Amino acid sequence: MLAVQILLIGIIMFIVPVMAGGFFYKVEKSFGNILFMWISGQIMLWAGFQCICVPVILRWGSFGDVKKLFLGFTAVLAVGGAIICALRSLKGRKAYKLVGCNKHYINRQYIVLWGIFAVLLLTQLILTGVMAYEEGDDAFYVAISTITIDAETMYSKLPYTGGTTGMDARHGLAPFPVWISVLASLSGLPATTVAHIVVPIVLIIMAYAIFYLVGCHLLEKHRAYLPYFMLLVEVMVLFGGYSLYSAENFLLVRTSQGKAVLANLVIPFLFLLFILLMEKIQKKEWTADIWILLTSTMITACLCSTLGALLACMLLGIVGLCIMVCYRKWNVLIGMAFSCAVPVCVAALYFVLG
Amino acid sequence: MVEIFQKYMGTGLMLIWFLLALVYLYLHEKRKSFRILLIYAPVILLLAFFNPIFYRLFEKLVGNEIYFRLVWLLPVTVVIGYAAVLACAALKGRAKGVFAIVAIAVLMISGKLVYTNPLFSRAENPYHVPQTVVDICDAIEVEGREVMAAFPQEFLLYVRQYSPLVCMPYGREVFNYHDELYGVIMSDEPDVEKLAALAKQDLCHYVILEAGKVSQAEMEQYSYELFDVIGGYDIYKDNTMYFGL
Repeated sequence: MLAVQILLIGIIMFIVPVMAGGFFYKVEKSFGNILFMWISGQIMLWAGFQCICVPVILRWGSFGDVKKLFLGFTAVLAVGGAIICALRSLKGRKAYKLVGCNKHYINRQYIVLWGIFAVLLLTQLILTGVMAYEEGDDAFYVAISTITIDAETMYSKLPYTGGTTGMDARHGLAPFPVWISVLASLSGLPATTVAHIVVPIVLIIMAYAIFYLVGCHLLEKHRAYLPYFMLLVEVMVLFGGYSLYSAENFLLVRTSQGKAVLANLVIPFLFLLFILLMEKIQKKEWTADIWILLTSTMITACLCSTLGALLACMLLGIVGLCIMVCYRKWNVLIGMAFSCAVPVCVAALYFVLG
Repeated sequence: MVEIFQKYMGTGLMLIWFLLALVYLYLHEKRKSFRILLIYAPVILLLAFFNPIFYRLFEKLVGNEIYFRLVWLLPVTVVIGYAAVLACAALKGRAKGVFAIVAIAVLMISGKLVYTNPLFSRAENPYHVPQTVVDICDAIEVEGREVMAAFPQEFLLYVRQYSPLVCMPYGREVFNYHDELYGVIMSDEPDVEKLAALAKQDLCHYVILEAGKVSQAEMEQYSYELFDVIGGYDIYKDNTMYFGL
């Protein structure tokens, strides 16, 4: 039974997002595009979940409705992405490309550094499973995930005590814990286990995958140093306990909370998308796919935390304005307006309902 | 906002490396896209963070407790990591290896290993909640309905994470206000009469207390029978309460 549950969660968290990411196989042509497909597929699924879940919550709908609608959305996205990749394969082109390596710089040192990185990553994943952290906010977020499955209602019960309450709009606009409920419900694993072990393990891997992709672009001319860059990043994450509030600390301690996902996945992924956007602008290529992904990432920021809407818009605003000025590309404004539409609506709802 | 920033940056060493890395990249990074992302945007963000008008606006909109989250927008890890790699690549011979090791050591000394946090402990089960909570909840749950149970402080964070069927008269927010029942449960020598009256008033089916904290005979006077003893805790059940569906 447990093996089936683990297999199911593996399919939901690895295979389905890669399939859904098939729509974006062309975006990241240079480096490890299977990783990019995995992350962008997951971002699309999260964005879809936010668009499905919030209206259902606001209309006092049931968790079952969210699950059905999200399953339908996931199926369409995954099958669509897989068809696109299959068509590409039929044309004789490789749709999936694993980590892009060049034999030039693969020497003993390179392998040893990757080895150290892998051992440290494995250690973090094992510690995520065997170490428990006394995190006060879990009493709220994990309890919401647990209640949602049992009560079939969302944000209408007090997570701390179990009493009934009116609509908790502030938290209902960022229903990341309900996504955890969906995972638990689909896999059959307890929501507590999904929140404390499964989601952290997957999201830690995903966070490093984003750093890897960012590193690939940054070190285009120094690819031999990529494992060293990743090792430095890993050391900074592991030693991020200098403050309780650092993003790195959140990654290892509060991984399954939306705010940790915002700090360690959504914001770094926005940086990666900005890199890709500027590369395309320089090459005068079509940027619509990047803007779709940017918009999805902005919506995902809202799923993670209500403040995510503000943070994501602020980052997009600053970087977008810099791009506009430095590249003299005024049409970036249109993309920015398009990407900020949902976060602005969520922020407006926050103030209206709050 | 300076205080918030200081709180975020801990010892401040990471901040020093970040600022040095920004300067290094300003001097050595020539690609426009990376200058925008790793230099201009962080500088604008820092200016916004320390801008009192922006701070007041933020405070008015969402409160200042989460102002520190703005710092998440700074790509601290990427900037420091990338600058260190560029500096390393610029060196030759043995200096390169020495720099690489020193940079890692410096980052380790500047930070603090996350796992040394005393709030980490060995997980007792796949739920990552204390096994005593699991055992107590399993014992008192009634299939198909909710039960109300008053727990001592050490279990408040975990009960509702594990079981949606066990409700509590007070939760984690009890640390911020005075709750009479919680006060009695947490007192060194609970007044049993008061405890029973308050628990009944809050419709508690069960009261969980440290083993031996109150006399069983005294609890029985108020219709509370000792239901079970789990993990060093006495579980008292109110015999006057309805447990059916």
